[in-house]
Amino acid sequence: MQIVSKLRERRYQAILGAIIMAVIILAVKPEVLLEGIQRSSLYAVIALPMALILGIVGIINLAHGDFMMLGSYMAYWFAVKSGLDPLLAMIPAMLAFFLIGILTFYALIKPVLGSQELNQLLLTFGLGLVLEEAANLSFTSAPLKLSVPYVSASLTIGDLTFGTFEFVYVLAAMLVFYIISLFLKKTRIGRAARAVGQNPKGAKLVGIDVNKTYLIIFSLSIAIIGTIGVLFAMRHSVFPVMGAPYTMKSFCLIAMAGIGNITGILWYSALLGVSESIITAIPGAAGWADLVFFALIVGAILIRSYQQRVK
Amino acid sequence: MKIWKAFVIAALFLAAASLPFYTGTYLLHTIYIIMMYMSLAISWDMLLRAGQLSFGIAGLFGIGGYAATMLQVFTNINPLICILFGAIMAGLISLLIGLATLRLRGIYFAIITLAMAEIFRVIIRNLPDTWTGGAMGIVLNNAIFNGDVKQTYWLVFGILLITIVLSEVFNKSRIHFAITSIRNDEIVAMSSGIDIFKWLVVIFVITSTLQGLVGAAYTEIYGSVNPDANFSVHYSLLPLAMALLGGIRSTWGPVIGAIVLGLAGEYLKLLMPYGYLIIYGLIIILVILFLPDGIMGLIKKLTQKK
Amino acid sequence: MMKKGIILACIFMFLGAGIALAAAPKPASGDPIKFGAVLPLADITGKQASRAMQLAVKEINAAGGVLGRPLVVVIADDEMKGEKGAAAIDKLATVDNVYAFIGGMSSGVHMAQLPVLKKYAKPTVWIGAAASSVIEAPMAEQAWYFHLHPWDYQQVGGYITGFKELAAKNPLIKLQKWFIGYEEGAFGTTGYKGFQTLWPQQGWEVSGASFKSALMGGGEYRAALRQAKDYKPDAYLWLGYDADALPMLEQAKEIGFAPPMLIGAPPGWPADFGKSPLAEGVSLFGMWAPSLKEVSKVSKHFWDAYNKEFNEAPATYFAPLGYTNVYVVANAINKVGSLDQDKVIAALKDTKYDSPVGETLTITASRALKNQGFTKQKILQWKKGVQQVLWPLDFKTAEPAYPFPAWDKR
Repeated sequence: MQIVSKLRERRYQAILGAIIMAVIILAVKPEVLLEGIQRSSLYAVIALPMALILGIVGIINLAHGDFMMLGSYMAYWFAVKSGLDPLLAMIPAMLAFFLIGILTFYALIKPVLGSQELNQLLLTFGLGLVLEEAANLSFTSAPLKLSVPYVSASLTIGDLTFGTFEFVYVLAAMLVFYIISLFLKKTRIGRAARAVGQNPKGAKLVGIDVNKTYLIIFSLSIAIIGTIGVLFAMRHSVFPVMGAPYTMKSFCLIAMAGIGNITGILWYSALLGVSESIITAIPGAAGWADLVFFALIVGAILIRSYQQRVK
Repeated sequence: MKIWKAFVIAALFLAAASLPFYTGTYLLHTIYIIMMYMSLAISWDMLLRAGQLSFGIAGLFGIGGYAATMLQVFTNINPLICILFGAIMAGLISLLIGLATLRLRGIYFAIITLAMAEIFRVIIRNLPDTWTGGAMGIVLNNAIFNGDVKQTYWLVFGILLITIVLSEVFNKSRIHFAITSIRNDEIVAMSSGIDIFKWLVVIFVITSTLQGLVGAAYTEIYGSVNPDANFSVHYSLLPLAMALLGGIRSTWGPVIGAIVLGLAGEYLKLLMPYGYLIIYGLIIILVILFLPDGIMGLIKKLTQKK
Repeated sequence: MMKKGIILACIFMFLGAGIALAAAPKPASGDPIKFGAVLPLADITGKQASRAMQLAVKEINAAGGVLGRPLVVVIADDEMKGEKGAAAIDKLATVDNVYAFIGGMSSGVHMAQLPVLKKYAKPTVWIGAAASSVIEAPMAEQAWYFHLHPWDYQQVGGYITGFKELAAKNPLIKLQKWFIGYEEGAFGTTGYKGFQTLWPQQGWEVSGASFKSALMGGGEYRAALRQAKDYKPDAYLWLGYDADALPMLEQAKEIGFAPPMLIGAPPGWPADFGKSPLAEGVSLFGMWAPSLKEVSKVSKHFWDAYNKEFNEAPATYFAPLGYTNVYVVANAINKVGSLDQDKVIAALKDTKYDSPVGETLTITASRALKNQGFTKQKILQWKKGVQQVLWPLDFKTAEPAYPFPAWDKR
């Protein structure tokens, strides 16, 4: 499992760059592109930590979106109880979710590391169920929504009026991507993580503490997704099952990019987000947006497998 | 030994078949809901035994249901024929999907099945109301057997029997040998001249037909379809949880898992009406942590020790 | 010694009971009469409806019960799944032996319950499931079936009357051009279809665009809102859920879309919606609003009692509907004086109940169903963080603010 594959990266850049260029030229409505990119970044930033866990620890975390949900509730209650700007909740969220990650790892993930993949899948499914129900019992199913004035800030250039807040997601996606890449390339534990992701047995033989690596990668990813939960809650309603659809979307994105391909997630989320934005902008076509979303996923996976077979 | 085993199976069969004569309506209803999930779980497990993981039960369940309902609405023929039609349609569609995607492996195939289920849902929802009822769905004039629980039970029990028999036949057949060799070592299998892909398609079509059959029966029993309910992700995830809980790669694991989770859900609901799902989730977590091979694994361990 | 003690204790208890019986409100005694309610308990609608039902039961029993016997409402969870909803009916009928079925929320669940309800043909009074296309026609022939929630088309019809009456009072209000943003599921699409049929009949123009509700993992409304903005409507209405409410407004503000009238029609609103400055002047459709307590005694009583009993405010109209649900059936039985089903059904048809949602509930025929309860929703408006009633004029608690204030002037 290669985390960064230069060759692939360049090929994806070429294909997707071309598509995006075409879109720019075709887009009579530039806001469609802007909003598409904002949406894409949200998809990417949510998928990235899940991809990290899947790529290195090898676990499909079906409770991924539910951790985000917890982060969103944390942001909400932080802002309501303290009266401070909810963005500030990112700092305690990062720490809290790193701890939650550590606890989850020791209590649930470590015991099943050796068992079959499907068991791990079901375990995180059960965990997601528990988290959702705990939130439902504590806060009911009624959605909560922070009211922050600057999330509806916008900029007008000529005829074009567009929202500026969601560029936070673009920034976050870039930041998370670079942090993950740098972490994997430059730090000792990161290099160990790549080695572990590619070959856990071999890594163990050369003296890498595999469990410690897993622990750090898992907790780091949970810390990231919890923090993203704060950003998410700024603009979206918070309710117990809010995370589940994003778990599915992230999972699809990761499969589309190929496991271990962190860069691919950025490109493919751009493809999905922008196409979604284009479809919904066409009058009467919005109902088909999901079809395009999933058709692109199926298409990408089939094309890649065909290319591999030809090789 | 063999006679003893046959005797137990015959006794179980008789007990299950005669259940409607001494069970109340509600329990019977609960049991046939569990049996539907059981059939889904066993069929999902059959595909797993062939080495492919599916997240798309809901898609085939929904297709079966929609095909049956639409035939019922347009022709008003015997519901049993409609159920068969639903199963066949699910089988045909799965044949096309299988030919296109079964060369994929692992989570790639799993994601494709998940995406397929979503694609079906979107298409059905967006088709004209006069065909599929659109987003709201269709209500039939009446349920199958006029809603008689006993006959409904036997219908579902019949479907379950077909599923169990197919699963057992599959386990004992030469196909299974071929398939196991796929699972263990694809290259060995390939060099021994077994056409993996062909067998995968066969198994995929069989299991999909079974899932369509359950979906079709479901809609005839409840007399309605709607895209959100019939393509609900529950039908993909719950059978999976049941199979894993009971123990995968066998016929009886999913059976036990479905009974345990199905009854636990119903009982917990009576015990704590608000938020019982939290206990349900905890059961799943605890079983995975302490019984990694499912309940069947535990049973095997216990019987071997003796 | 022991025996004597027990006997003495018993005597005292009977004496005490006798004294209690002699004192004015006689508590109910004897075998309980049971109603079976099916609700989605994990959802706030079902949770609060079930609580409101228990509140009604408590009050009814304190006032003498049903036919002098205690009333019990057995609640079963449908888990928002059709098969579980149907199995719940079987349980209530055969295990609990309930006299009547009440409850309800989702149309999708109710569809799957129709066959099993027909099997028992017990008095059934439903407070949910507004989708006429799948519920009304199939239940048309069932004399025992009562439906209290206004059908989708009745709601839309009610808005026409309502807005016309409001426009007659305030000639500034324009209603010519409407744009509907609707969620792509059953709730939004059936609603939009209602507008598409009824609006042209009024000579009003209507167009629309769908979006994916935040409840289903969506939450991006800008594409629909931009189409609405280009259409330059007199009124923009969105048919979505509570999770869409504030994000929808934030995105409308973001793209600078502020039509003269902005209306939302979710079944419930987030608790903190009123606190946002964006909420001011947003109109809405609903069965009920807390402000009704200012104009309706029953509503005030319900509001106070619910708050006191559960230490929370009723946040969805399913709470007052659930309360109404129990009273309607209990009153009918008490009126007849027996459990004779035909007579109770006749009494249900004669229902006259001052309900906490405002109106006096009576049963009339709808398009296909003989026993329809409420026939319209109310037009409300958010003002200073509170939902005020604009229409029906009998329950008016405030004058309409028109036009919708610009985003930068609030």
